[in-house]
Amino acid sequence: MPRAERRRGAQRAATVVTAAFASLLLLFLVAPLAGIVGGWGAAGVRALATDAELRASIWLTLVSATVATLLGAAGGVPLAYVLSRKRFRGRGIVAALLDLPLVVPHPVAGIALLLMLGRDTPLGKALLAAGLEITGSRTGIVCAMMFVSAPLLVSAAREAFDRVDPRLEAVARTLGDTPWRAVRRVTLPLAGRGLVAAGVVMWARAISEFGAIVVLTYNPKVASVLSYERFTAFGLKSALPVAAVLVLLALVPITVLRTVYSPDSLPERRG
Amino acid sequence: MIELDRVTAAVGDFALRDVSFRVDPGTYGVVIGPAGSGKTTLLETIAGIVPVRSGTVRLRGGDVTHQAPELRRIGIVYQHAYLFPHLSVADNVAYGTDDRALAAEMVERFRLGALLDRDVQSLSGGERQLVALARALATQPDILLLDEPFAALDPRTRIVARRQVRVLHAERGMTVLHVTHDFAEAGRLGHRVVLLEHGRVLQMGTPDDVFRRPASAAVAEFIGAENVVLGRVRGVEAGDGADRVVEFTSGGLTLHAVSDVPEGEAHAVIRADEIALSPERRESSMRNQLDARVVELAPSGVLTYVTMDANGVELVAAITTRSAEDLGLAPGRDVVAALKATAVHLC
Repeated sequence: MPRAERRRGAQRAATVVTAAFASLLLLFLVAPLAGIVGGWGAAGVRALATDAELRASIWLTLVSATVATLLGAAGGVPLAYVLSRKRFRGRGIVAALLDLPLVVPHPVAGIALLLMLGRDTPLGKALLAAGLEITGSRTGIVCAMMFVSAPLLVSAAREAFDRVDPRLEAVARTLGDTPWRAVRRVTLPLAGRGLVAAGVVMWARAISEFGAIVVLTYNPKVASVLSYERFTAFGLKSALPVAAVLVLLALVPITVLRTVYSPDSLPERRG
Repeated sequence: MIELDRVTAAVGDFALRDVSFRVDPGTYGVVIGPAGSGKTTLLETIAGIVPVRSGTVRLRGGDVTHQAPELRRIGIVYQHAYLFPHLSVADNVAYGTDDRALAAEMVERFRLGALLDRDVQSLSGGERQLVALARALATQPDILLLDEPFAALDPRTRIVARRQVRVLHAERGMTVLHVTHDFAEAGRLGHRVVLLEHGRVLQMGTPDDVFRRPASAAVAEFIGAENVVLGRVRGVEAGDGADRVVEFTSGGLTLHAVSDVPEGEAHAVIRADEIALSPERRESSMRNQLDARVVELAPSGVLTYVTMDANGVELVAAITTRSAEDLGLAPGRDVVAALKATAVHLC
């Protein structure tokens, strides 16, 4: 067999093997979730009408994730802007510290929060004295959600700011804008889609959180804790409708993200 | 008025060092220099975008070294326009002004009427540049900083833009500092030229000063001097101070020059249009009459550039194409190249 033909044959074989691996991975990722939705999606939706505890946990999850995202954005967007635009000593360390909550196991994140905000800690006592209880409360859920998901928002928002040329702000300043006004009139509109996407990423991560929440605040139960409880207490069959609702819920941020970040809507760097 | 006094500023690894110069009120100053010489950094330092590490920046006589850009009342136009991509052409032009009539006047001047509703991302490079000029001038700055604003324009648009900037400069008495790498453009536009290289000012003066008397061989080569010859100043023939006549030799070539450079190694800079050619020596006031042989002719419109070998040194003369024909010049032809001692600039 000629050498060129052998090479073409090898390339075809490599393509087939690569495609097979990619397809298997796709199947592995999609099939379990599709199975839950296909088999139990309708039951999950029906359970929403009849199961008050499920409804309450879904509502608690949505509200907590939204509050955590808004609070995370309030601090995270300015932080992302500073990390994108300013050069200062220790910038790399700050960026690395922000990644830390993403890499520690989430129960460990919950334990760390418990050590800092638990009822017996100085900060926890001070907050309790001020009428703010963290453990076993909605506030605790928001704290746990923020801790594990805000770094994602900061990272995505920083990328959004990186895509806006700083010279556009500089030009706005020479046209009479104060720094705040230049950011409001130029940078925020241009980074807007990226910032929305950053918020969606944080929100999506927050609604799926389990490990940190279960350590810090088992009750009231968010949806992920409820599904775990039903699985351990009543078995797989009881947990499936809750799980199906959670998967359907996860489709919302994914759909929003794909819409915001479709190729046509990507902001372009112009100059 | 723009005045810099020993200004040092840095962006990343690049730094402007000890930059000092002054552009008087209503004057059109031009900064020239090769790519990477610090021209844009210089403008951004004056605009307050790049912070000053040391030294003083004065605008209109007042110290603005640490003043915010929005308080400096200057306009800046970059080579790449930097239009706001989320705004229409009309909104870009009106960005810095509440005076709609003024914005409309700029639209009229730069012939942007047909583009007003266009998305700026759909504009050509030249159109974007005109919008950037209109946007900067709509704020009525009395100081305008231009960073190679005409580089991306087609020849016709360049003429329109250049004319409008000149007209506005004259009408409003604006002080303009215009960055370019094109010395011909600098000569056409500027009253004063600042030559920058590696973040330092190499020379400043009128365009003619810099053109005729470059401060160094590097300057001469950058501004396109045709003849830059390394040699030695051998001795003073007559006079003292700036008026002395010295002898300059390079290989087999000897030139007389009026200069105050000390004896030793030096460069002779001779503009091609200062060299006259004739078939034979003749009586004249020209101190330098050199026997040369034509190597190459390069016609360029009305002028022809004649490359010659003068005792082993290559010289280029620029004469009219008609004269080249009348003299019957051709490669290998012997000629006499004549030039005044004052036409030889030593540095």
